[in-house]
Amino acid sequence: MIKILAACVIGAALAGGLALVGTTVATNSSSTAEPVNESLYNYGDR
Amino acid sequence: MSGDDAASHRKGPVQVGLPWVVGLLLGVLALGPGLKRGFILRYDMVFVPNPPLGPVQLGAGEGFPRAVPSDAVAALLSKALPADIVQSILLLAVFALSCAGAARLVRGPLVARLAAGVFYAWNPFIAERLLLGQWAVLLGYAGLPWVLAAAARLAGAKDLPRLVTALLPAAVGGFSSAVLSALAAVPTTIARPGTLRRRLGSALLAVAAATALSLPWLVPALTAAGGGARTDPGAVDLFAARADTPFGAAGSLLMLGGIWNAQAVPDLYGHPFLAACRLALALAALAGWVLLLRRGSLGPAGPGLTAAALAGLAIALLGTVDPGRDLLRALIGAWPGFGALRDGHLYTAPLALLQAVGLGGAAAWLAQGARRTETEKGPAAPDRFGAVAAALLLLAPLVLLPGLAWGAAGRLAPVHYPAEWSEVQRLVDADPAPGSVLVLPWSAYRGLETADPGRTAVVLDPAVKLFERPAVWNDDLRVADGGTVRAAEGEDPAARAAAEAAAGPGGAGAPEIGALGVRYVLVEREAPDPTSADGPRHLSKNRFSPLLDASERVHDGPLLTLYRLPDEHVDAVKVDLSGLEVTGWLVTVGSILWSLIASSSNLVSMRPLRPVGAEPRKENPS
Repeated sequence: MIKILAACVIGAALAGGLALVGTTVATNSSSTAEPVNESLYNYGDR
Repeated sequence: MSGDDAASHRKGPVQVGLPWVVGLLLGVLALGPGLKRGFILRYDMVFVPNPPLGPVQLGAGEGFPRAVPSDAVAALLSKALPADIVQSILLLAVFALSCAGAARLVRGPLVARLAAGVFYAWNPFIAERLLLGQWAVLLGYAGLPWVLAAAARLAGAKDLPRLVTALLPAAVGGFSSAVLSALAAVPTTIARPGTLRRRLGSALLAVAAATALSLPWLVPALTAAGGGARTDPGAVDLFAARADTPFGAAGSLLMLGGIWNAQAVPDLYGHPFLAACRLALALAALAGWVLLLRRGSLGPAGPGLTAAALAGLAIALLGTVDPGRDLLRALIGAWPGFGALRDGHLYTAPLALLQAVGLGGAAAWLAQGARRTETEKGPAAPDRFGAVAAALLLLAPLVLLPGLAWGAAGRLAPVHYPAEWSEVQRLVDADPAPGSVLVLPWSAYRGLETADPGRTAVVLDPAVKLFERPAVWNDDLRVADGGTVRAAEGEDPAARAAAEAAAGPGGAGAPEIGALGVRYVLVEREAPDPTSADGPRHLSKNRFSPLLDASERVHDGPLLTLYRLPDEHVDAVKVDLSGLEVTGWLVTVGSILWSLIASSSNLVSMRPLRPVGAEPRKENPS
């Protein structure tokens, strides 16, 4: 029984993750901003 | 594990080879467009065409040898292959070694071993370190499972060649990689069965092996620490772990994220749904690890890796609380070498391996249950749900970390150096007169156009690694923190002296800079000049105008201008390795050759873990 539950939970999580990724890619809403066009480039931003 | 289980899991060529293939495929998926011709340049990851291989790359000079011996190895390989192909091979090796190494630590069905391998090769740690460009650290990370397995079998000196061989990726990686390897190896040797004296002897052997392979960077580092190089204790705040998920810094570290640099976080990583799923995955992996520990199926690697992961997590957490930061500042103030502890996220690498093996254990539990039921109760319907759950668990790391795929969503696009860079390199390297190269503008990082139009790669100035002679550059590290830019003070005494000269009345002239041993000045014309003074300790190019006015212009191109200082001002000596540094290299190379000959093996043929008390397999007499 516990394995049925595990399969369902993992499957649902992965389906949700895939749906989220698919939606994001389709709407191109992911953030890919890079630290460019600054007066100086930093080693990074916290 | 029962005899039947062991028999059923005996590995054939496919079972042994598949984790390597999967690791390689994961590497292709992660690097994506970055595998095209050209260089993947990002923050600390700097590869240049025809990389030089001389005393500087082998550790000579001032400052901490952070790129020793990784740059030297890359340069050596580039004698046989184009440097951009060498870079691709090294990065793919990280994924293949990681996946195969973690997979072989798990005893169980193929799906369980692959689950461990996929998790170890595809997780926030590897993604964030890759996006920070720390390929040398990742080499050490990839070697960690192999080191763990070798340390678990280190009964005496006869087993030393195996450990030295396993330490090879860490030896190439340099300082951080060696520290990570020692962190995993020492507790594992102490956890071995036997008397305390024998176990301490094994631990000493492990330390000796790690030290022998670390001498190329250890000797110059100790020289630098005693010779004026210093680490800024104030930078503890800048490089401490931070929250990159909704679960705080501690939760992020538990999920193997939490790197200090927000620009190194993969896309979608902090999304609440994916973060919650990743947290559940981490907890499932920890549960799997506890299961394996209780079964005692990991041998000394179990308690050893547990201790290493807890210690690493504790170091990472130090920077997230005020008392911990105070302690780190005090330690660094006492000895610059403790500066290695300020980037705490680095030390979660053993936790990544623990979770990977734990996830493999969980997958094995899911997949194996069906077989036990059949054995005990006669023919029964296979537990398809268990097998399905294990297979889904195998895919979970990939689905829950989509931001690493395809060159981290295009962030690892290749860069093509304009031919001018090679021309300048040729001019400087053809000059037999000694002297370093001062790099302007006086800032460390540059934005280079990638092959992907409109996308800029932010990277450490490639000029720093372009020449065989030393480069003098502003090694202060600028970090934006809460809307303000702060700088961690650099470590190179020559750079500090050059900055002081430039900041003085009238700026830096040829006599002052020439006295520091500088013979050339390279000005990158398109790099932004810090004239706006929007950060601390940054000096406009104009502060070096007297120097440039007094120097001969030997190259003047659209991107780069190269100046040569008048000979009468240059007080330079040829940089060379000291006798101690040469000895260190000889010991390291000798140790590696000895281990390869003595073991007559390589990483592939190293055997997986045995549980405590298991009968050792008969050694191959050949």
